[in-house]
Amino acid sequence: MAFGFKRTIQSKGPDRFIINLRDDLREVIAAVCDDVLAALDDENAPERDPMLRRVFPVAHASDESVNEAYRDLVHSDLLRTRREALERVSATARDTELDRATLETWMIGLNTVRLVLGTRLDVSEDGFPQLEPDDPELPAWALYEFLGVLVGTVVDALARTV
Amino acid sequence: MRSPTAADVAPVEVEEPSIDTTLKVDQPWIVLVWNDPINLMSYVTYVLQKVFGYSHEKAESLMLDVHEKGRAVVSNGSKEKAELDVFRLHEHGLWATMQQD
Repeated sequence: MAFGFKRTIQSKGPDRFIINLRDDLREVIAAVCDDVLAALDDENAPERDPMLRRVFPVAHASDESVNEAYRDLVHSDLLRTRREALERVSATARDTELDRATLETWMIGLNTVRLVLGTRLDVSEDGFPQLEPDDPELPAWALYEFLGVLVGTVVDALARTV
Repeated sequence: MRSPTAADVAPVEVEEPSIDTTLKVDQPWIVLVWNDPINLMSYVTYVLQKVFGYSHEKAESLMLDVHEKGRAVVSNGSKEKAELDVFRLHEHGLWATMQQD
C-alpha cells in the first residue's frame, strides 16, 4: 500500500481512479492473478479441484440434478469471465489510472484470488492465526491479508462514487 | 466492522407465492446467500447493490442477515431467474444457492 499520506485509491469522479501502489506490490498483483490463471488452465476439470471449489460453487445445497443442469448451463461462461477478469487485472496491474469498469474488474479478479488463497489456507471466522515467524504459511497469510485490505480499498472507492 | 443497529436488521421482504399456485413447477424459487469467512462485508454489500440494484440500506441489511443468521434470501422468482441470479452472484464470488420455496 502507499504508506504515505495519499489514499491508495483516489477517485477523480465516478469513472476515474488514481492508483497509488508501490511497484513491487503491483508485481505481486500481476503474479497472483497469473498463478490463479495457471490453476484454471492446469486442470482438465478445474471445477473438481478442491482448491477451486469457491470459484465454481454448486447451485443447490443438496439436489444434484439441479447442480448438474446449472453446471452444464454456466460452467463455460463462469470459467471465461473469471479468466477475462484475471487477465485484465494482470494486464493493468502497472497502470496508475483506471476507469470504473476496470476497477470493478480488479475487485472481482482480486476477490477470486482471495477465494482460492482463502480456501487453501482454510480461513475461518477466527481470522489471522497465531503463527511463528518461521511458519511456512506466513507469506501466504500475509498475501491474503494484503489482498483483503486492497479489495476493501477498491470497494470503498467504488461505493463512495456510486 | 461496526455493530449493527436496529435498522440494519429489519426483516427482509419476501414475496409470498399466490394462493392459486398449486402446481409445483409454478412455485417460486428463492436465491440464498450464505455466510462465508472470506468475502468482506463491504464487498458483499456492494455486490448486492450492483447485481440487484438494491439501495445501500437494503443491501447492507441483507448482508448483515447473512453475517448474523448465516444466510439470507436475496431474490426470488422463476427457476430461470433464480439460475441467472445465482450465476451473477457466483461470478462475483458470493456463496449463493437456489431452492424451490
